[in-house]
Amino acid sequence: MIEITDEEISLEQMIQRARSSQAGAVVSFLGTVRDDGILGMEVEAFRDAALSELEAIRQEAMSRFSLTAAEVVHRTGSLALGEAIVAIVCSAAHREEAFSGCRYILEELKSRAPLWKKEISVDGGRWVEGK
Amino acid sequence: MRIKVLAFAGFREILGREKEVEMQGDASIRELLETLAFVSPRFREAAFEPSGILRDYVLLMVNRKRIDAEKDLSRILADGDELAIFPPLAGG
Repeated sequence: MIEITDEEISLEQMIQRARSSQAGAVVSFLGTVRDDGILGMEVEAFRDAALSELEAIRQEAMSRFSLTAAEVVHRTGSLALGEAIVAIVCSAAHREEAFSGCRYILEELKSRAPLWKKEISVDGGRWVEGK
Repeated sequence: MRIKVLAFAGFREILGREKEVEMQGDASIRELLETLAFVSPRFREAAFEPSGILRDYVLLMVNRKRIDAEKDLSRILADGDELAIFPPLAGG
């Protein structure tokens, strides 16, 4: 499942959806807002284009690493320090594929999905330099 | 013809999220960008080098497909096309 949402991410629900009797490993990744002297973060998406790119990346990962499930949820809107920006859950028969699939989705997402982050500080805001 | 322009991140703050731009006759991507720059000096400064070359960090999509800003700026747009303007991607 692919989702871009203004709501808080539930990693627990994603893990539940990824579990199955075919999976021997479920790997999750959570990217969170780090306190680099900021107050929080705003995340913006070109929603339709990002959803189709994330789905393409998910399908690539599914076939490349023989995943049994892959879930990607990306936040938009205003996020507090420590809050989750992105969550990825991959399941596979064995751990190597699940780890590799999770890593692949994260790296591809960063370079291909039209999403942007703005760090909010007392001085205003600064768009995070992207790829 | 009418072109829908979508802007994101820093470019949204300058141009607004979405607008329709009316162009007379055939118009290329470059001509549309120059029209936007004519109307908004802030956009001109953000998107173009002083020499008139599009800055490296201006990324473009036409109808949800990425286009090569070095090669495809002369491409003629069609009525109803959607041009998206955004900076390098920074999700995750």
